[in-house]
Amino acid sequence: MALKFELPKSGFNFDNYNRNLILESKGLKSPKTIKTGTTIVGCVYKDGIVLGADTRATNGPIVADKNCEKIHYLAPNMYCCGAGTAADTEFTTNLISSKLELHRLATNRQSRVVTAMTMLKQMLFRYQGNIGAALVLGGYDVTGPHLYTIAPHGSTDKLPYVTMGSGSLAAMTIFENGWKKDMSREEAIEIVKDAIESGIFNDLGSGSNVDVVVITKDKTEVLRNYKRPNERVKKEQSYKYPRGTTAVLKTSIRNFVDVTEGVATPMDLS
Amino acid sequence: MPYDPHPNHEGFLNSVGSPIQHRFNPHTDNGGTTLAIAGKDFCLVAGDTRQSEGYSINTRYAPKVHELSNGSVLATSGMYADSVNLVLNIETRLEWYKHKHNKTMSATASAQMLMTVLYQKRFFPYYVFNILGGVDEKGEGCVFSYDPVGCYRRETYQAHGSSAALIQPFLDNQCGAKHQNIKEELLTLDQAMKITKDAFASATERDIYTGDYLEIFVIKKSGVTKHKFDLKKD
Amino acid sequence: MFLTRSEYDRGVNTFSPEGRLFQVEYALEAIKLGSTTVGIQSSHGVVLAVEKRVTSTLMEASSVEKLVQIDKHLGCAMSGLVADARTMIDHARIEAQNHWFTYDENVKVESVTQSICELALRFGESADGGEAKMSRPFGIALLIAGVDENGPQLYVFSETYNLNRFFYHKVSCRSVSIEGFFLGTYTQYDAKAIGSGSEGAQTELQEQYHKSLTLKEAQSLALKVLKQVMEEKLNVSNVQVATVTVQDGFRILNEAELAETVNSLA
Repeated sequence: MALKFELPKSGFNFDNYNRNLILESKGLKSPKTIKTGTTIVGCVYKDGIVLGADTRATNGPIVADKNCEKIHYLAPNMYCCGAGTAADTEFTTNLISSKLELHRLATNRQSRVVTAMTMLKQMLFRYQGNIGAALVLGGYDVTGPHLYTIAPHGSTDKLPYVTMGSGSLAAMTIFENGWKKDMSREEAIEIVKDAIESGIFNDLGSGSNVDVVVITKDKTEVLRNYKRPNERVKKEQSYKYPRGTTAVLKTSIRNFVDVTEGVATPMDLS
Repeated sequence: MPYDPHPNHEGFLNSVGSPIQHRFNPHTDNGGTTLAIAGKDFCLVAGDTRQSEGYSINTRYAPKVHELSNGSVLATSGMYADSVNLVLNIETRLEWYKHKHNKTMSATASAQMLMTVLYQKRFFPYYVFNILGGVDEKGEGCVFSYDPVGCYRRETYQAHGSSAALIQPFLDNQCGAKHQNIKEELLTLDQAMKITKDAFASATERDIYTGDYLEIFVIKKSGVTKHKFDLKKD
Repeated sequence: MFLTRSEYDRGVNTFSPEGRLFQVEYALEAIKLGSTTVGIQSSHGVVLAVEKRVTSTLMEASSVEKLVQIDKHLGCAMSGLVADARTMIDHARIEAQNHWFTYDENVKVESVTQSICELALRFGESADGGEAKMSRPFGIALLIAGVDENGPQLYVFSETYNLNRFFYHKVSCRSVSIEGFFLGTYTQYDAKAIGSGSEGAQTELQEQYHKSLTLKEAQSLALKVLKQVMEEKLNVSNVQVATVTVQDGFRILNEAELAETVNSLA
């Protein structure tokens, strides 16, 4: 039986794209999506993966959040750093995280990193780069440690050390200069911290603190604010206003209830 | 064949078929913030020293507050290359004035001159937002605030640059006594210093183009002193 | 004076073998024919007084203009070819206005005098082949009076050095450029007379001038000196007086004020 109305196909609907083009040609200013400048990195070491991220969120030239979280949970053995449009990284990782959870419940097995990587790249490719998410995916599964980058159009790389975001070049200089095969946990955290700090200090889109996540065979450690190299200095003086600073222009007191004296009548409970 | 001024060749039309418009954008914004506060017998002029373009820092120390040879101080924000040329131009004129009139130019005279210098380039402006600070003929602190084409007025306090929108309301409240049930009074030097340091520390927190170092110039009748402080570098 | 006419007479830029520019020296002669003009500086202000040669009873005396304003705080008196002075006054007025526009302050008396001197040098063919302002030297001398941050001041502009041998030579004679060593110079004076009666007038000024003159006394002295050298009898219609003071700037005395001073002389 033919439906009276065609049901919309699943996924995004791009009809409004054409409508917006027409509106824009008539002078309408469309709202801009928020793109966060970011430094995110990942690095393979002897026993697993270390992920790192800065904590600055920007809106144009303004710092929107001085201590946000950019390392998202995907699975107990897997975390994913996000750069790009804040909402896109947030929703993409959440969506894949829930799909992985369902997959684990259905299969009763630990999630594999390659599975998450494939789901992410297929989703991003389907949307042709319109989802502005640039990701660093790291985890440890039955096949060992894995580290990927996923670009907004869906292409992926599997490498021993990776960087993403506006601070990616600054961070990569640290890895290219100091990365070694089979580093210790301490060495790996140190180089990840240095890479993020390089982004924090040399890239204006990145700033504030260093977040680190260490994933090994049977343990995942979230080291939130592992380093805080940018503490605010104490203010020179107090800006507490004395009472009466705000001028009273007019005073008007109104009674919203009338209170009358008298004998209380019992409530009607019938 | 009749002459066609716009033949349909590749290069004249883009892929959609509409003509390609070529543009020349010689101006850039190198970020940074400047501020000046006038007092009874002093003037304070301050600026951060970060110079940036896009998401990159060109240098952490490129002073944009310049002490001029007539004892005034010029704070420049906007395009750094233009500000360097503007300061050179002003310095030349100060020197010529000295030779021609056998005296150093007063702060108010240099304020008017800066206006004419800026307006002379009305159709290819110096992309610089200026604040000129000094001490006037009466020995009182003076601040002159400009737009890039020379519109100027005397103020008692002013912020310019990438954090102007963050700092100016703060100055309105603290220097101008705006939204406070108190009388507006000129600040003491100690108060002005504290407010300036706090303003820049706070601007550095929220503006990615402000940071690295803070330079404060204090102008009095007796001369100019310079102070340098650290700002956050992220 | 110059009995032997020679080829050095013709070009304004040709030196004689004795090192003279005849055309420039002839310009001085033109100034010597001018009406007598006196300027006196006092600590309260500067006084300028000019003789108006009313050559006919049918002439409207008030239309003879030898005292002109340059700016609010600046004025000048002229002697010589008055028409030549127009160019200089226009130049000075523009200079004063430009200075005010550019610097939001009054131009100094010395600076405006300097700019007049620069104009005075621009005669003859210019070195770069461009057009010169004038084909001959200016046949004019000016008394420039004004007040600025250095107080009331009187300057004398003249085309040649010959005038500068007079008295009350207060500040050393400044040259505008190398040529200006004797061309287009200016000198600051306490009191100065120019024009046809200037020699006698200057001697009188030399004797009568003293530093503590009031403005009123300076006015009287200026007219007294003029009276002595004028051929006609001095009256309110054949002289004109102007003052430049801090309070009022440049101001030409009206008929009543002039009459009061003239009457006080008798």
